[in-house]
Amino acid sequence: MANPEIGQPSPGAAWRWVSERGLRLATGDATLARYAVLSGLGLPEIEDIIPADGTILLILRRGEAVSAALRQALVAAAADAPVAGGTLHEITVEYGGTAGLDLAGLAELAEMDAATYIKCHSAVEYTVAFLGFQPGFPYLQGLPSTLYAPRRASPRVRVSAGSVAIGGRYCGIYPASGPGGWHLIGRTDAKLFDPQRAEPALLLPGDRVRFVAA
Amino acid sequence: MIEVLRAGLCDLVMDQGRFGYGALGVPVGGAADPAALAAANRLVGNGTDAAGLEISLAGPVLRFPAGGVVALSGARFAASRSSSATVAWNQTWVLAAGETLALERAEAGSRCWLAVGGGLAVPPVMGSRSTFLPAGFGGFQGRALQAGDVLATGEGRREVRLLRAHPPVSLAGASLRVVAGPQAGQFDDAGLAAFFSGSYRVEAASDRRGLRLRGAAVSHRRPELPSQGVLPGAVQVPPDGQPIILGWDGPVTGGYPVIAGVIAADWPRLAQLQPGDAVQFVTIEVEAAQELAAASWSIEELG
Repeated sequence: MANPEIGQPSPGAAWRWVSERGLRLATGDATLARYAVLSGLGLPEIEDIIPADGTILLILRRGEAVSAALRQALVAAAADAPVAGGTLHEITVEYGGTAGLDLAGLAELAEMDAATYIKCHSAVEYTVAFLGFQPGFPYLQGLPSTLYAPRRASPRVRVSAGSVAIGGRYCGIYPASGPGGWHLIGRTDAKLFDPQRAEPALLLPGDRVRFVAA
Repeated sequence: MIEVLRAGLCDLVMDQGRFGYGALGVPVGGAADPAALAAANRLVGNGTDAAGLEISLAGPVLRFPAGGVVALSGARFAASRSSSATVAWNQTWVLAAGETLALERAEAGSRCWLAVGGGLAVPPVMGSRSTFLPAGFGGFQGRALQAGDVLATGEGRREVRLLRAHPPVSLAGASLRVVAGPQAGQFDDAGLAAFFSGSYRVEAASDRRGLRLRGAAVSHRRPELPSQGVLPGAVQVPPDGQPIILGWDGPVTGGYPVIAGVIAADWPRLAQLQPGDAVQFVTIEVEAAQELAAASWSIEELG
């Protein structure tokens, strides 16, 4: 029987290896703050830094090992310095109807009428926790807990680009058409991702979002 | 210039990859064996970051109206030239004006790379000429080549040097070397035993996003996980217990536990796996894997 811990640092270590090129750092609520700090260091052995849900993956360039500077950054106490406020984006949404096929069902689940659901969803400011799934797909944190909803039992084969959706405790926006398992509550004309733009992704980790009903 | 007379199964313009956009949800992508493409580029006098063609399982028929300096690396394919001259791998050769190169089936392995003097001149997107099929951008119009396409090439070197390339020594046998974890603890003993001592087959539904495996189910203690960053070679296990080795165009985040990660030195072997191939996993320490990753191609002057 193989030892599943072979090659991993000691149980108390700050990170765990994902092959020999990925360092998975548990960052919890400090993910965006640590991401800002680690990105700002410009360490030459790092090829990429990917924030996610409570963790950060640092990818080492091929053949590189963990330098003293990187080791120090990995074990540094979680920065309690507040993250500098990211850009605030106002995103206009057409809620419900054919643009948001699941809105009526979600409102019922939340025991409110559709108008109250929309008010509730557009009343708060969201923060981009991370991007993933598709290029430019934002995982937005800040969803009121009354609006949490488990993913759909069976994903849709095709979700339209610009669809605003709910998955668990996150709100997301589909940048491109394709399959999707989140509940659709509306749609925006905002172009979330365009590889030809100087800034391909509209939203970056740490940015803030407010939804405005069309 | 290159004319595509017949397209292969999936001919993709690739370079070394698109770096630094993981946080936007865009993986590095690029050639499945970047060192092999870089070697082919050196053979034709290009910089290692020039774009070439990645050819999978069944290749295209290409016509070179003005001729060209070319080189192939990677898996051997049945191949012919209209001049009847032999098609060699891992060395420089010169096509006469109007010559045709026909690549048929892969004889062993799955992918080869074609470099041409001057490189393929497609516009870079987000700093790379690599095709990213899942989102349809980069490379030649964001897609695989089709019959009738015409590829522009850059200005090649005037003098041609005939060179030969030698790949790094590759490990024979089916075992892929992995670093265990980071979520090995989310599997039960039977699941771990199945994974580390079992044998898997590569499924036909595999592509550059991931290699789907079939074999003894890897049973979980907990099948769910908050989305975490992942990289090529990470072995995710979804609730059905059948492992997926993430590929070059895989997602940058994933929500399934990662039982192990294939080391970078074995990524070129992932590039050569075909549907039906057998795969086993053997663990290796991180430090040993980092030393192995430095192995590289060597280039020598021919005669």
